[in-house]
Amino acid sequence: MDFALVLQTVFNGLANGALYAVITAGFVLVYRATSVVNFAIAEFLLIGAYLTYTLSLFLPMLPAIFLALPLAFAFGVLVERGFVRPLLGRNVVAVIMATIGLASALDGAALIVWGPDQKAMGAASIAQLPKEVPNLAFSIGGVFLSSKAVWSLILALPLAILLVVLLKYSRYGVLLRAVSESETAALAMGINAPRVVAVAWGVSAVMATIGGAFLAGAAGGGGPGHHLVLLGLIVFPIAILGGFDSVPGAVVAGLLIGLIEAFSQLYLESLLPGITQAIPFVIVLLVLLVRPYGLFGQHRIERV
Amino acid sequence: MAEINVENLKVVYRGVILALQGVSLRAGRGEAIALLGPNGAGKSTLVRAMAGLLPQYDGRVLDGRIVLNGQEAHHLPALKVASLGLTAILEGRPIFRYLTVLENLRAAGHKLSPQRQKEITEEIFTRFPRLYERRFEQGGYLSGGEQQMLLLGMALLTEPRILVVDEPSLGLSPKLTEEVMQVLDALRRDKDLTLVLVEQNARAAFSIVERVYVMEQGRVVFEGTAQQAQADADVMEFYLGGAVAGGFSEAKRYRRRKRWV
Repeated sequence: MDFALVLQTVFNGLANGALYAVITAGFVLVYRATSVVNFAIAEFLLIGAYLTYTLSLFLPMLPAIFLALPLAFAFGVLVERGFVRPLLGRNVVAVIMATIGLASALDGAALIVWGPDQKAMGAASIAQLPKEVPNLAFSIGGVFLSSKAVWSLILALPLAILLVVLLKYSRYGVLLRAVSESETAALAMGINAPRVVAVAWGVSAVMATIGGAFLAGAAGGGGPGHHLVLLGLIVFPIAILGGFDSVPGAVVAGLLIGLIEAFSQLYLESLLPGITQAIPFVIVLLVLLVRPYGLFGQHRIERV
Repeated sequence: MAEINVENLKVVYRGVILALQGVSLRAGRGEAIALLGPNGAGKSTLVRAMAGLLPQYDGRVLDGRIVLNGQEAHHLPALKVASLGLTAILEGRPIFRYLTVLENLRAAGHKLSPQRQKEITEEIFTRFPRLYERRFEQGGYLSGGEQQMLLLGMALLTEPRILVVDEPSLGLSPKLTEEVMQVLDALRRDKDLTLVLVEQNARAAFSIVERVYVMEQGRVVFEGTAQQAQADADVMEFYLGGAVAGGFSEAKRYRRRKRWV
């Protein structure tokens, strides 16, 4: 076994996993706060990536990403106000169905606004050279790390961990967890539950945008296209693996799936072509057999 | 001037279920009143209405009004009501079970400055040393009495003028119930609170309130001082489990059912 190759695969896996972790952490955050499974999360990714793309037409790549984040936040809040808040007090299933509808609507909207063809970041036409964030690719002792991997590791991974820490220790994190348990009890204690929920959606959209921008190739390798929707589906096995209601679980599971994918790509893909896409789901199935709450699922406190 | 003034309040759930059929009550500044009555009398509905939480239960005020501290409150959302100084402790001990004791207190006191929050938290821990011992434990693992103390602490952190407590004695032993009542009484006196105590355990409530309202089927059927209530044979029989003079040998073999309405 080639040690350098293994090390390189580990880093690349973690890098991809960090992007998954960021997106899934945002997705789980919304689930925690509102018990709503956001089936439009893949479209959040898509919209985020397209937003970044549009801004990158006028700006260098890095400012474009950072400017896309407040827009994404506004988008998340808008979705909450437009689709989730009006259904307050209804069955959660109604809200979930609404997110499925939203997914289709956003898909269509993206097609209308940005067209069906694959874009390249910062390039209005094929003739132009795509923009990317400063190239940080390097190679030490036979271990090569692509620019995308380095950016993921220095941007997405700390962000995912920051979210976990904030949720645990910050004032807003405590409020969000309080609201997630009972909106009524939170309201009775004077907690502005609607605002907390809106912020959760906003943060979720921000996380999806960071993940989307880099998955779409902000660090080299193309631009947004509709394949992102398929890529976004990876959120579901990761969230389930992490326990669905645990943000730290989502981060760990994201990294884990990233690693497993990388190694599967390296060792299994030549034996069983296509296995890499299936493997996250297989892992989830196996883990759920042993741990029905996922890796970090909340143990229910019940008094009898 | 009355701190709480409820006039002819009518509340419906889901547009059809009439839970309050014209309830009126008042409480003066710093006064303690009790709201008694059997299950389904509408006590909790009144609490929800006062706290502006009816929309959470798919209910709304059909008619009548609630005036808190001189301001009309029956159409205000919960957050506005809270900012008027009313804090309601709902039934069923609604602490945040997955949050630790400290986090629960932090969530309740989120509007205070860190300094003020710290002061009150310390005061709470002095009042309830047991909470301090268990401050890093999740609320769900506390005993019923501890949860009730935690809720009172959380309510203190909202710095209320009016405190509405729904069934604090539920599921507690008589001894603990007594303790909770004493704590409530002490809090009311120390903080100059207007207290609305909703109870099924009338005997416990009598010890700390000045006036009593008895509800049945969405109406107020008795109103008077605690002494008057205790002197009233009907109220005593139906809400104190019949303190029959002369011992059990003379107790009736059937339960007389009084129809109030």
